[in-house]
Amino acid sequence: MSIMEYNGGSVVAMVGKGCVAIASDLRLGNQALGISSNFQKIFPITDHIYLGLPGLATDVTTLKEQFRYRVNMYTIKEEREIEPEAFAHLVSSTLYERRFGPFFIEPVMAGLTKKPSGEYKPFIAASDLIGCLNFAKDFVVAGTASSKLFGVAEGLWEPGLEPEDLFETISQTLLNAVDRDAYSGWGAVVHVM
Amino acid sequence: MPQTRSFDPYTENGGTILAIAGQDFSVIAGDTRQSEGYSIQTRYAPKVFRLTDRAVLAVNGFAADGNMFVKKVKQRLEWYRHAHAKDMPLRAIARLIQTMLYAKRFFPYYVYNILGGIEEDGTGAVYSFDPVGSYEREACRAAGAAQSLVQPFLDNQIYFKNQVPAPGTTHPAYLSLPDVLSIVIDSFTSATERHIEVGDGLEIYIVFAKTRDLQDFETIRAKNVHLIQELTVAEDGERIFVLRRDLKKD
Repeated sequence: MSIMEYNGGSVVAMVGKGCVAIASDLRLGNQALGISSNFQKIFPITDHIYLGLPGLATDVTTLKEQFRYRVNMYTIKEEREIEPEAFAHLVSSTLYERRFGPFFIEPVMAGLTKKPSGEYKPFIAASDLIGCLNFAKDFVVAGTASSKLFGVAEGLWEPGLEPEDLFETISQTLLNAVDRDAYSGWGAVVHVM
Repeated sequence: MPQTRSFDPYTENGGTILAIAGQDFSVIAGDTRQSEGYSIQTRYAPKVFRLTDRAVLAVNGFAADGNMFVKKVKQRLEWYRHAHAKDMPLRAIARLIQTMLYAKRFFPYYVYNILGGIEEDGTGAVYSFDPVGSYEREACRAAGAAQSLVQPFLDNQIYFKNQVPAPGTTHPAYLSLPDVLSIVIDSFTSATERHIEVGDGLEIYIVFAKTRDLQDFETIRAKNVHLIQELTVAEDGERIFVLRRDLKKD
């Protein structure tokens, strides 16, 4: 019995032209048994950052609250909103704190960074369960359907997608991947920024 | 002191195979990398074999079993030719493969088979098998190391899963040959990008029904003369071609 597959669930994030998208399924399971078809795995962190937490459901809840606390503390101390890059490193250090008794979560994040010129730069990142970051410039995947997500995303994604096309690409990627994964599915949610 | 001895007669040799059936043609493809663990044994080990002028078999899994199995299938097809003075029809080959696999139910050939070709009624067909002979006729199938990467992509692009046709239109029942070839090549380049056991070379077998107009294929062939080889033996029957391409070697 693998702890990473105990509750099931998958998340994917993609970069577009001046936009980002993050999507997940909505299943909560107990191994093969479906429990809920409305289990949230993606959480808004700021107005410009979304965080996906696929993995062990109990740790989804714990980490969601812990990140809320730490981002609030950051906002108060710094008197400004956290940037996506800084948030990625906050995720990383939070997970590495538990290096030898980890949270069973592989976070995926998507956000927009405001450049001095005023335009927004898309940002995505993923991490393993102990905080090793992956700053991909195309797409990142995680969860029980990750190998399927990799296959479909590699086939469908292309550089410079406009928001409407990015929405279609990430939706088709997620839907077709989770349809071949028994532990993922039961509804989906897509966020485009 | 108690001692334990064990003999493990199986290994996994990586690689991926794929087949798609069209209305009056069939495409069967496989990469040519053969590996064991993290080592590449060879960059050119064919996994796709011409059985007759209208049947092609792709074999993936344990390479030694795969080669032996293909050898025995070819032997049975030769005996059939001597006895009946004709090639065995595709659906009969499919049933033969089931019987041969199930005959070794308790010491199986550790291979996944995909059989592609032209049926007696002139339609393109794909049959896929599990290692002990359970089989099914389908429009498309991927198997092997990158099955989990390729199959959901095929669901989307071949079966149009999760796609809604524009109002007043329907999805095409069969895809054109250029579309099918593009999907096959995209599937393998994607799998090569993300899977370490896939790469080096790609062999695509294309089988045409005898009635088929080869105009669209001749256009592709003219642009890829050095890549395409004709394997047809009998005249005015089904025709077989093989297209060989490079895949990334890292």
